[in-house]
Amino acid sequence: MRFDPTLPVWIGAALFVVLLMLLPLGSIFISSLYDEKGLTLGNYLQVFTDNAYLKAIWNSVIISFWVGVIAVAVGSLLGWLVTRTDLPFKRAVRALVMASFVTPPFLGAFAWMLLAGPNAGLLNNWYRAASGSDTALFNIFTIEGLIFVMALYSFPYVFSMIANVCELISSDLEDAANILGANRWKIALTITLPLTAPALISGFIVAFLHSLSLFGAPAILGLPAGIHTITTQIWAFFQYPPRLDLAAAFSVPLLLATVGLIAVQKKLLGRRGYSTVGGKGAQKRLLKLGYLRIPALLLVIAILSLSVFLPYGILLKAALSKAWAMPLTLDNLTLGNFSFTFFEYSDTRAAIVNTFKLGILTATAGTLLATLLAYITNRQLLRGARYVSFFVLAPLVIPGIVLAVGLFIAYSRPPLALYGTIWILFVAYLTKELPIGYSQTESTFKTIHPELEDATRIIGANRLRALKDVTVPLARSGLIAAWSFIFIGVIRELSASILLFTPQSKVISVVIFDLKEEGQIGAIAVLGLLLLAVSFAIILSVQWLAGREFFAGSRG
Amino acid sequence: MATVTLKGLTKTFGDAAAVDRLDLDIGDGEFVSLLGPSGCGKTTTLRLLAGFLQPDGGEIRVDEKLVSSPTVLIPPERRQMSMIFQSYAVWPHMTVFQNVAYGLKLKKLAGGEIAKKVERMLRLVRLDTLAGRYPGELSGGQQQRVALARALVVEPQTLLLDEPLSNLDANLREEMRFEIRRLHEEFRITTVYVTHDQAEAMVTSDRIAVMHQGRIVQLGAPEEIFDRPKTRFVAEFIGKTNILRGKLEDSRSVALGDGLKLGVTSAGAHARGNDVYVCIRPHNVTLTASAAEAEEARRNGMNLFSGIIRRRVYFGDANDYIVELPEQRLNLRVLAPPAHKYEPGQKIFALAHPEQCVLVGEE
Repeated sequence: MRFDPTLPVWIGAALFVVLLMLLPLGSIFISSLYDEKGLTLGNYLQVFTDNAYLKAIWNSVIISFWVGVIAVAVGSLLGWLVTRTDLPFKRAVRALVMASFVTPPFLGAFAWMLLAGPNAGLLNNWYRAASGSDTALFNIFTIEGLIFVMALYSFPYVFSMIANVCELISSDLEDAANILGANRWKIALTITLPLTAPALISGFIVAFLHSLSLFGAPAILGLPAGIHTITTQIWAFFQYPPRLDLAAAFSVPLLLATVGLIAVQKKLLGRRGYSTVGGKGAQKRLLKLGYLRIPALLLVIAILSLSVFLPYGILLKAALSKAWAMPLTLDNLTLGNFSFTFFEYSDTRAAIVNTFKLGILTATAGTLLATLLAYITNRQLLRGARYVSFFVLAPLVIPGIVLAVGLFIAYSRPPLALYGTIWILFVAYLTKELPIGYSQTESTFKTIHPELEDATRIIGANRLRALKDVTVPLARSGLIAAWSFIFIGVIRELSASILLFTPQSKVISVVIFDLKEEGQIGAIAVLGLLLLAVSFAIILSVQWLAGREFFAGSRG
Repeated sequence: MATVTLKGLTKTFGDAAAVDRLDLDIGDGEFVSLLGPSGCGKTTTLRLLAGFLQPDGGEIRVDEKLVSSPTVLIPPERRQMSMIFQSYAVWPHMTVFQNVAYGLKLKKLAGGEIAKKVERMLRLVRLDTLAGRYPGELSGGQQQRVALARALVVEPQTLLLDEPLSNLDANLREEMRFEIRRLHEEFRITTVYVTHDQAEAMVTSDRIAVMHQGRIVQLGAPEEIFDRPKTRFVAEFIGKTNILRGKLEDSRSVALGDGLKLGVTSAGAHARGNDVYVCIRPHNVTLTASAAEAEEARRNGMNLFSGIIRRRVYFGDANDYIVELPEQRLNLRVLAPPAHKYEPGQKIFALAHPEQCVLVGEE
């Protein structure tokens, strides 16, 4: 066979990704097994016998468990309501759940600090004013408060899983049991529930893992009350004097737990799968809620107020007022926070520039890499292409802070001394966001028939040329979506950034964290709103673009 | 087994009547097809029968017992029916065995009996080796047979089938048609079969009800529907046909243009002097090049057309001709055995027996 000149491109991309994943993970395992004297299990021994550290692990497990439970309850209720009932304003509800999804949890935690802090929290002030009592109604700086806030930003994951499944289950499946003699309850028990059970359990696992890996929320709401979780403890190991070996040893169980739970989730689906069996003609009927229609809507609005309306409201208020806890009167109204953040304060200005620079860089490089990799695996260009996809998707199960520990160890000494520059953040973001970009481009390529390329090649274009001239233009909206997802992921990233930043390379999320210590509430609110505004603008334009392409029928 | 009676059955969605004052009597153990194009109301009729929908007018009786009317609705689970869905609706979270056993479990049969019945049914539909598989691991045809087994194993009074073959590929579809008829002959369950495929209806049914715009336009045995269509719609929907327009002279002849008179047969009554249509099936026309032979046939009462061959397509088992009739400015489609071959441009005589020239109504 003739040598294919494009082969080195494929091999290069594949090798790059394997290295990108192996270096940090390998570093963690190796340094967890060494101290100054050499090979040892002492790090593990120290980490898993100290009561304070065990307490942090226990806190993480308890918090994540309840977050999982609440997220499943709320997410599946909402998912079911918008797909299988005649709930009014479904599109708006979906959009607002999407908004909760896009809100960085650390921002939500910050907003809830302003809403339900025991001393100055707005809701507590209202309560005191209304009841005349001088105690606080809520204290967000507790385990319960932490569970509450983290659940608010974890339930959208369950929501989307349940909504997807509910859309796949046709009414025919229920009717088939009905005509064989099953009544309503029997159908729910033997057909509907078992069909949704895998999604419910996966939803729980995803919400559990999501909250296990969060750093911002527990740092903002837990640390003031002395509540440590695994992630805040890893962060604490990095404070002076840094104990990298202990951080590494502490990261390993988090990593293993994640991998283990993902394996459980895979196993649960097993051979069944709910991929639509059979053919067309399957229809779905909407359950008529009747007199429950309005109460259901009110419940949905209440839930969404907790995750969207109240937090966004307080952020807006804090951004526009001189003293955030005071009523928003004309005296109190100001644009000073905006000019301070954007023009006067050098830290925030630098962070904004860094964040968007990194966002654009990572999104562009990530989309390019993801495109190449998805192309390799989708068209089976290399032997072992399946394993490439395993490596690309691996970061999905690596909590951000664990990845940061690995990257810090791997890239802080020669020959790869990236630490201290923004490039280590670039590598971290690229690694962390690659799975999202990859899944997006993978599914896009799946819709483009290889024969379209073959038709280009038979008249003389090589693979790379065919990719450039035919496949990429056809995949355009999918690639733009991939770029946008990576970009949004990058600008909101905190848990890896918090370990990898240096004073010269601060990003918005890190600055928000710093400003909290300084009490610069107004500036935080401005930065938070900036993140949200940019994210929503990007999502809306992607949707607009996708909608347009759809109507043009360019997907054949 | 059961008799099923539909009387004045009506179902409207919004302003449109999906089923419009429909009457149908189905005998005990009879296999009736509802045949029609999409949107003719056949699936709605089936879902009314199953009890998933409540009629806005009329009633449904099973064994004389009222099961559906605007005020009465026996729920599906108490109708002793089975249904096969277009999407099969095979439950993806249960194995083949569990799918088939489900209905028997609802009937609270003993475990050993369930196993015996399920195994027998799976052997019958040739799925016994796949009992432990999940539906996701089966092909479309196998899933369809799971749905069939699941519906039959409960020995229902009435079996409803909603386009069960429409998702299969051509070969399998043909095989399954015979399979469904064979199973019907074995169990003799009263069956209502919804389809838009006339071949399916022909193979499987005792009687076919052709539906159009929510009503039954003709009901009869397959041969009757095919050979004696009552309306132009039925003639054109079922099989290929030539439709010739003319004026009715008397009940036995129709004047086409230019002095040509056609001897016809008529199923219904039509008023003299009206515009009418004549349906002639392409395979009922014979061709001959010999003027003497043609004249001989005409004197024996055959209808005679003279024309020119315009096109010939060879199908292996037949030649498909288009014959132009210049005097009537008409084209006649003719399906002739391949033994004789006529070439385009050749002058030709076409013959059709009056028994096979059927007068049809406009609607």
